Amino acid sequence: MNSLLHVGQLLHGTNTLYRVGKLLGSGSQGEVYEATANGQVYAIKWYFSQMATKEQLAGIQRLVKIGPPNSSFLWPLELITTSSKKGFGYVMPLRPKRFASIVDLMKRKADPSFYALTRAAMELIESFRMLHAKQLCYRDISFGNLFFDPQTGEVLICDNDNIAFEQEVNTTVLGTPRFMAPEIVRGESLPDVDTDRFSIAVLLFYMFMIHHPLEGRLEASIKCFDLPAMRQLYGHKPLFIFDPISSANRPLPGLHDNALIYWNLYPDYFKQLFTQCFTKGLRQRQHRPDEAQWLEVLLKLQQSIVSCTCSAENFYDHNKTCWSCQKSMLLPLHLHLNGSLVVLREDTRLYQHQLQMHLPNKSTISLSKTHRAAKVTKHPHHPEIRGLQNLTEESWQVTTPKGHTFEVPKGRSVTLEPGAKINFGQVSGIVQGGFAHEQSLGLTKEATR
Amino acid sequence: MRPGGELATRPLHFIFIADCSTSMRNSGKMDALNQAIREAIPHMRRVAEENPNAEVLVRALRFSSGAQWHVEAPTLVDDFEWTDLESSGVTDMGKAFEALADVMAMPPMSERALPPVLVLISDGQPTDAYQEGLQRLLAQPWGVKAVKLAIAIGRAVNKKVLQAFINNDQIDVLQADNAQALVNYIKWASTAVLKAASSPASQFAGHEGTNVILPQIPDDFWDGTQVSVEDVW
Repeated sequence: MNSLLHVGQLLHGTNTLYRVGKLLGSGSQGEVYEATANGQVYAIKWYFSQMATKEQLAGIQRLVKIGPPNSSFLWPLELITTSSKKGFGYVMPLRPKRFASIVDLMKRKADPSFYALTRAAMELIESFRMLHAKQLCYRDISFGNLFFDPQTGEVLICDNDNIAFEQEVNTTVLGTPRFMAPEIVRGESLPDVDTDRFSIAVLLFYMFMIHHPLEGRLEASIKCFDLPAMRQLYGHKPLFIFDPISSANRPLPGLHDNALIYWNLYPDYFKQLFTQCFTKGLRQRQHRPDEAQWLEVLLKLQQSIVSCTCSAENFYDHNKTCWSCQKSMLLPLHLHLNGSLVVLREDTRLYQHQLQMHLPNKSTISLSKTHRAAKVTKHPHHPEIRGLQNLTEESWQVTTPKGHTFEVPKGRSVTLEPGAKINFGQVSGIVQGGFAHEQSLGLTKEATR
Repeated sequence: MRPGGELATRPLHFIFIADCSTSMRNSGKMDALNQAIREAIPHMRRVAEENPNAEVLVRALRFSSGAQWHVEAPTLVDDFEWTDLESSGVTDMGKAFEALADVMAMPPMSERALPPVLVLISDGQPTDAYQEGLQRLLAQPWGVKAVKLAIAIGRAVNKKVLQAFINNDQIDVLQADNAQALVNYIKWASTAVLKAASSPASQFAGHEGTNVILPQIPDDFWDGTQVSVEDVW
């Protein structure tokens, strides 16, 4: 098969001339190339002629006008054409090589830490929160759309050309099998924000369990896994593999081992959101977790990560022994806050919703910079001493282990000394750990209030 | 460090079925076929690489006077190497169908798999009684579920037989009238179709009534292909 464009070909943007470079990949709608203009390198997607429709053209023009919800989106920058070939394409930022695909994650070619994985999940959800806030929906979430840096967890979202306003009736793209919401698979519905939320939950389940949430005994009983089989499993008879009521679709040892291994590793509050999405949420869309619910839980999950002396990361919750070496774990410096445990790492940040006793409106939860309430800092003269900086407008009240009290105004930091109690206003936290087991500290939820 | 293994996969069996009758020697058809498959292999590897749900296993069957496995063991696409086929003999297509029916039976086919992809390439018509073999193949559940494609090289092909092998009104015999067209069709079958059978891409509205949606051959497919009435086959 021949390529749509050739190396060296010139393409016209509004005011910029792009020179086509090497072919980067091809998909069902077109091909993606590297391109250069004014010394900068970009990516260009050129559509197959039957995909270069008026609707697609209008869609790209509108996306260019709207602009990206945040910098994680490799958003269309401008439309491009050429006199030597019919059709069109668009320019977008080029994805740096350090980013791995979700396929790499599934094949274990990318092996992020749990910490990086939770960051990737939070960035993904925060990006979709901002997308959905503009009443835009993605419509075609799958393995191919998300890239992440295995070291840091930063994410990039690509293939943004199918994004459209929710209220528009657009029948061209339905989604990708395995990710589509059941009502779309059954042909009863078109993609919208609620179906995006189902697909996001499937993607998260894949990322954290390396498995599909509906593939258990029922999948194993299917011989030929083709589209009729997929319609049945994902559309007409979907059943969560960990459904608390029906055990008919449990994962089978030998076939679905990842699901069995990972499910036991995570805290209940995290598994509860998946259960909600893949039981009630299979049929009643209002039960699918929204972005705020995911952000709250993912942050809690990330802040509970404790590295064992054997170097394995654990989610410190009901499990007090390491999944890898089976020894009981030592707790590093942490804050016991509002019933949760926040491990205080160099890069730990607290967010506004964590310092509120009752959230009047969960949809305000965000992990964006403007929602930060505190961050771990280093003492300016003694870098080995860690502090917590007040990023809120209100002063905090601190009580030291010896009973002294003082105020920490906006912008200042308090030394993180075990035993110190910080009153953030609505909630209080106690600094603990670094040397002893949680049990020996006798921590209870009440003790922190 | 995280526990567990790779995402669970299912096997996807991909089988080239190549006509090696004496007529394939004419006009460089055999060379073109060898070249086309050789060129397709890296593309198949890329498709397999990008697909976490399938374990792509490739085989090759030749038929002329009788049918023999050219690559008998289902081979991981990363390990699949092509040695050139040579042509001599008649066109015992029925024997090829028999051999396919044998491997599509369960066992040796596993209980769980993705739809197999069978790609038949021929330049002529069967010289044996092919019906019985074809019936046996299409009596196997995996024979029915398999995506069956046929590429006709030149105009001396009995398309009815190839269409009976395809066994699906929505899929036509692919007509290759020159070497470039043959390369293109084999590449399409071993990439786009392989992808569709293993992990369907984005779904567009309006596809019904088939177990694997074959991707459209893009209109741009033929750009740059020199099709000429003077091409000799």
